[in-house]
Amino acid sequence: MAEEFYSHRFDNGMTLVAQRMSQVASAAFTIALPMGTSMDSPPGSAAIASHWLLRGAGDRDTRQLNDALDSLGCQHDEHPQIAHMAVASAQLGKVLPESLAIFADMIRRPRLEDGTFEPCRDLVTQALEGLEDEPMRKCNIMIRERFYPHPLGRNPLGDKESLAAMTPEGLRQHIARHFSPRGCIMAVAGQFDWEKLRGDVERLFGSWQGQEPPAIQTRPAVRGLHHLTKATAQAQITLAFDSATIQDERYYAARISEMILSGGMSARLFTEVREKRALVYSVMARYHYIKGHAGIFVYAGTTPEKAQETLEVTVGELRNLGKNILPQEISRSKTQVKSSLIMQGESTSARSDAMAADWYHLGRLRSLAEMSSAIDAVTMEQVEQYIAAFPANKLTALTIGPAPLNTDVLKRGS
Amino acid sequence: MQFKQARLDNGLQIVGEVNPAAASIAVGFFARTGSRDETAEISGVSHFLEHMMFKGTDRRSPFDINREFDEMGAMYNAFTSEENTVYWGAVLPEFQVRLLDLLGDMLRPALRTEDFDTEKNVILEEIALYEDRPQFRLYEKLMTRHFGEHPLGQLVLGTRESILALKRDDMLAYFNRRYSPTNVTLVGVGNLNWDEFVRKANQMCGHWKPYEVGRQMRVQGPNVKAEAIQDAKLVRQHVGLMSPAPSGQAEDRHAAHLLSAILGDDSGSRLYYALIDPAIAEEASCSFDEMDGTGAFLTFISADPERAAEAVEIARREYAKFLEEGPTDRELEAAKNKTASAITLKGELPMGRLTSVGFDWVYRKTYQPLAEHIDRVMAITAKQVLDVARRYDILACTQLTLGPKDGL
Repeated sequence: MAEEFYSHRFDNGMTLVAQRMSQVASAAFTIALPMGTSMDSPPGSAAIASHWLLRGAGDRDTRQLNDALDSLGCQHDEHPQIAHMAVASAQLGKVLPESLAIFADMIRRPRLEDGTFEPCRDLVTQALEGLEDEPMRKCNIMIRERFYPHPLGRNPLGDKESLAAMTPEGLRQHIARHFSPRGCIMAVAGQFDWEKLRGDVERLFGSWQGQEPPAIQTRPAVRGLHHLTKATAQAQITLAFDSATIQDERYYAARISEMILSGGMSARLFTEVREKRALVYSVMARYHYIKGHAGIFVYAGTTPEKAQETLEVTVGELRNLGKNILPQEISRSKTQVKSSLIMQGESTSARSDAMAADWYHLGRLRSLAEMSSAIDAVTMEQVEQYIAAFPANKLTALTIGPAPLNTDVLKRGS
Repeated sequence: MQFKQARLDNGLQIVGEVNPAAASIAVGFFARTGSRDETAEISGVSHFLEHMMFKGTDRRSPFDINREFDEMGAMYNAFTSEENTVYWGAVLPEFQVRLLDLLGDMLRPALRTEDFDTEKNVILEEIALYEDRPQFRLYEKLMTRHFGEHPLGQLVLGTRESILALKRDDMLAYFNRRYSPTNVTLVGVGNLNWDEFVRKANQMCGHWKPYEVGRQMRVQGPNVKAEAIQDAKLVRQHVGLMSPAPSGQAEDRHAAHLLSAILGDDSGSRLYYALIDPAIAEEASCSFDEMDGTGAFLTFISADPERAAEAVEIARREYAKFLEEGPTDRELEAAKNKTASAITLKGELPMGRLTSVGFDWVYRKTYQPLAEHIDRVMAITAKQVLDVARRYDILACTQLTLGPKDGL
């Protein structure tokens, strides 16, 4: 069944994209505002703003605003991403117009009062401290920080000094500069009437004005090998290496390779590291992309005495990825990618997130049919060529645990 | 949406919710067994056995099982709790028979000693993984303290020592005590071919030999005490409060769900305004866990060690105030609407419906259509919510704190 897609660009530069799903009662939206963590000035700005936005908007104070969202049954989430602040909410389709009206207030008329700033900063400071109690999460944040050009991979929570340096006035200006219809994408999926939706969004956001968001200046990535000594029960191992971006013609070959490596329990990492050797409970590789960059991020957690072997077996699998690929591995991977697309397609919030991302990265929406045929068209040769072009020989590595590991295996290259 | 039900001659129950508009199906075997059905000597066996179900049968190697799931493009996994072990897969409708062939076969595992010895190391890694998660550690230890001698206080993962000591034959004996077809429910939801589903289930499970399976049933009353576990390595102070609540069979469980949302949902709740809004704590939540024959309210708080005592005091004061006044109209309405919307969103995914339909049957032997569930939630009154808070007394709780402080 073909998707019912819609899109509209308003005069002020804001884009609305939508997919009507007739079988559901819910409607979810994702509003991507051009104020991501990569634009943070100082670091942690978007994280604090994500709390501050809920502290009153328009003629509602904090309690009135939160009560209004709750009484509509909105399941909402405001969180900073690399390029955007994502403001998302899922609710019954019948209350979508009322919900959008509240979010229009939050985006266009947030109160951002001095008195509510301090608790918001405090919550982010506490979350940053809390990372120390969660080594797995910390490791996965830190590897991105080192892998991507600075500041694209930065820790969304900032650092102690940057959080302390922030002022209400400074953050208000930061928000005013970045909350703009130019570069703002709203994606809606689920139960709605398109003409009504477009009219509602026009009425709520049509008069909104703002400038083009400033370009991000980047510095080369730190990369390299790094260890953090900490008395954890498991050593945390994260590795990363380059992959093809979503615009790259090798993108689908990259996704197939990711599946061969870590698509399911029959994939190579799980088979070699867990099933055969029982070195870990958790081992995985995930493709991740941002504008202009992409990587394969690998994670393994293991008790310290097994960490060296885990590192070596894992790296061995990354280096051998291009060798002896079986046709069955390719066909299995294709089935897995296509099947997960169909299953994610049943969730309104997964769809609204995916549409906002497609529009930002590709400037259009990809249909299921398009993606399925692109996946079917990938050949063994293309997968091998992709792996040859993006070998796992210059790995960025970050480990957390009681003792550093011998990293000769990482330096050897291939 | 159509409800279907069947029963094999050996007692295995099959329930289904057929939705021809869905793009996928989800299938699960719900075994009514978990750590509460263990003895101390075999602590952790339910969960370890769950892993072993993926380790092959007479006609499949462990690698065959993994490969077949992946060939179908399945989402699949299993989970073990104090009282249930669930094996599930979600696939496109064309793979219905194949998925059932695989899951049904898996539930009669070979339990080969060599695989048992290897997988033991994976279990030990899983135990180590959770040692690095303070919230999980706190939950486990709070359950043990609150439930005391009640079997619900037994650890799901077991301990390093109990797992090291466990023998393959102990596991086999446990399997032969707990996996009778009379103790397993097969659940299917989504775009299902029902007749084919029952036929295949009979082919895969019809020969399973039935036998009597019991469970120790007891209501757990309050266990009022406060304890602390000091861990200087931690940066934050993690606090849990646990008190009795309605059981999974009790009619007032709907009111209990609304009560926990009013007290401690992550937005707009009493704890949100009292603790998160002023940033006295970074996390503060209240949840209701319905169990077989009993239940628990769990309050969880994470705060700066220097402010943890204050945070807990404020939470207790909020609860005391609630016990005096009950919910406001606005609070009740918001909790209902949030719940209705959460039920709807979850129900739009076959995987979401699988657990709802499955546990409705396992706990209550009923089927409740989504709309009826929402109607029952919407009909709850303020008095019912206050009654449940008072009857179970949310302040009569076991308190445990884990973090750098040795007490609050």
